[in-house]
Amino acid sequence: MNRISGYFKSLLLVELLRGMAVTVRYMFKPKYTMRFPMEHIPKSNRFRGLLALRRYENGEERCIACKLCESVCPALAITIDSAPRESDGQRRTTRYDIDLFKCIYCGFCEESCPVDSIVLTSIHEYYFDQRGQNVVNKQQLLAIGDRFEKQIAEDRTLDAPYR
Amino acid sequence: MTVVQNLPLICFYAFAAVMLLSALAVITLKNTVHAVLALVLTFFSAACMWLLAEAEFLALALIVVYVGAVMVLFLFVVMMLDIDVEKLREGFVKFLPVGLIVAVVMLVEMLGVIGVHAMQLRTGSVDPAAAVGMSNTEWLGFALYTRYLLPFEIAALILTVGVIAAVALTLRERRDARYENASRQVKADPRKRLRMVKMPPAHGDESTAQEEPHA
Amino acid sequence: MADLFLHQLVLPVAYILAIVVPLIVAVAMFVYWERKVIGWMHVRLGPTKIGPWGTLQAFADVFKLLFKEVILPAKANRFLYYLGPLIAVVPALAVWAVVPFDSRMVVSNANAGVLYLLAVNSIGVYGIIIAGWASNSRYALLGAMRSAAQVISYELATGFCLICVLILAGSLNITEIVNAQAGSKGFFEWFWLPLLPVFVIFFIAGVAETNRLPFDMAEGESEIVAGFHVEYSGSPFALFFLAEYANMILISFLSAIFFLGGWLSPVQGWVHLDAPGWINWLWTGGFVWILIKAFLMSFLFLWFRATFPRYRYDQIMRLGWKIFIPIAIAWLFVSGCMRYFDWVSVGVGA
Repeated sequence: MNRISGYFKSLLLVELLRGMAVTVRYMFKPKYTMRFPMEHIPKSNRFRGLLALRRYENGEERCIACKLCESVCPALAITIDSAPRESDGQRRTTRYDIDLFKCIYCGFCEESCPVDSIVLTSIHEYYFDQRGQNVVNKQQLLAIGDRFEKQIAEDRTLDAPYR
Repeated sequence: MTVVQNLPLICFYAFAAVMLLSALAVITLKNTVHAVLALVLTFFSAACMWLLAEAEFLALALIVVYVGAVMVLFLFVVMMLDIDVEKLREGFVKFLPVGLIVAVVMLVEMLGVIGVHAMQLRTGSVDPAAAVGMSNTEWLGFALYTRYLLPFEIAALILTVGVIAAVALTLRERRDARYENASRQVKADPRKRLRMVKMPPAHGDESTAQEEPHA
Repeated sequence: MADLFLHQLVLPVAYILAIVVPLIVAVAMFVYWERKVIGWMHVRLGPTKIGPWGTLQAFADVFKLLFKEVILPAKANRFLYYLGPLIAVVPALAVWAVVPFDSRMVVSNANAGVLYLLAVNSIGVYGIIIAGWASNSRYALLGAMRSAAQVISYELATGFCLICVLILAGSLNITEIVNAQAGSKGFFEWFWLPLLPVFVIFFIAGVAETNRLPFDMAEGESEIVAGFHVEYSGSPFALFFLAEYANMILISFLSAIFFLGGWLSPVQGWVHLDAPGWINWLWTGGFVWILIKAFLMSFLFLWFRATFPRYRYDQIMRLGWKIFIPIAIAWLFVSGCMRYFDWVSVGVGA
């Protein structure tokens, strides 16, 4: 009996038709596609994207060359040289390079930073078109920080209660 | 004007030329795949010539059966062959006399048959299909299924016996080999393989309370 | 002389262009429609960028293919390599000579139209085999062999299905086959009802013959990369593409003609109204109906593709030889009985 009903089922294409009903139902569902350059997926304020160096409000750079980020970086992406600044003798970095190919965006550097200097911004749409551009230096990192300071500060404020 | 009027004749000679050339190519080409393709072209031109002679059923059947099926299988086999051409050429001179004799005998026989037939045809030959006012295909069907029904059925029987014999000769099942049985696979029923179990969620007793990190 | 010139040369060429040009445009739009529909079924949007709603995407694809470099693989057979796509595309276009769009809208109203269909259709497989062999590549050869075996198997099933239609219609002429489905009982007069299993088999075998999913063993991206056209690029590849999609549209049209009454209206015999000509086709039948039917059938191709996973090779052979052919032969007897005992009324030409 079971066999006969099985034959009927397969001859009447029951299971195939059921599958087709599923696909046609999905055809009329709202689509998930984001039209990327025009539309963006909402991002969490904890999103870990491109790195940046921040400044204080008076324009002084935050980084004090403690090299905690360099030592905590699991991918060894950060390279720091430091020396006394010529104008006032403060300890500052002369070189702060991050290899973005090595960086795994773990956020340890941000966690370790005592002065909230190195941060991960929410930028994730960036590219390199030439060899060597993957290593970003101090000036570039500061420039990114300057440009997105408002967003960075906002994200930090939102996250502050949970820290 | 004359070109248009003689179009069928021109077409006939064109197709005939292609057919002869490709038939020649079948036996002269070194590459077997090329030879098979030349044979396909031969069949195709033959079909075109039959179309010109208004034997459309024969022509189209030739294409469907020979070009569409038989030659595809030929090609199928020939493509996989790895033939050493030099070895095949070795016996060429040795067998040339025998081959020539066979060829001459066949030529004479064919000339005889076609010649006799042509003489008979010349005496008041009428296209039987046109005589009854039917299309070629229709008339052929009537002839096959009425007057020639018995030979037709016998031919079908012989072919069926051939098919069964071929299958019986090649069909063997090895006991020690594992086969996938598609029919059994298709019949597989998910309900027999997979059991959906509904478990009640665990309530907060002592054992789970300890594991909760933030209360 | 001028008259002869007109009838022998100008008119045939005009007819051919009148079919081939819309066909190629239809193929392009069909590719767009396919990407759209499959996108929707995957809960995506499909192409949206080029032209309004992405409608010009297909043309962008075509021009991209035509401008690409044609690469001849080393040790490939040059002549056969270029002959393959041509042999694939010529039958795909030549078949349309006998496809009627309306009672008088057909290039060649040949008496042996169905035979011509079968004959020309069976040549197309050479394109695939030759391409696979001439590419001098393992994957291409494997694809060609699979395709050859598959097309031959399913051609038999298609042939038996067509014989059922021929028994009921009593003619090899395609226009007369459609006329045999005319009558007073609307779409119940069409052959899909008495020949329902055959209709299903015909369409599924048609999907298999065009090497479309779920029967795309010849391409099998996940197994043999792209099968017979793995070595092709640029315009020769575009020809294979054109042939495949033209064949899909052809199978849709043939299903509409043989089983869904061609240009006949689904309300034929039910509605009798006096109306101006532009609306009359709704119940008297017209070429719009065959376009609608073919469009619906061609939608099934895309629906199948979005729904079913690919068959395994032995499953395809089992389906063709052990299921389709026996059922088709059984229904051959049934349709013979239908004809002999007059179980179905075959409409006499309108």
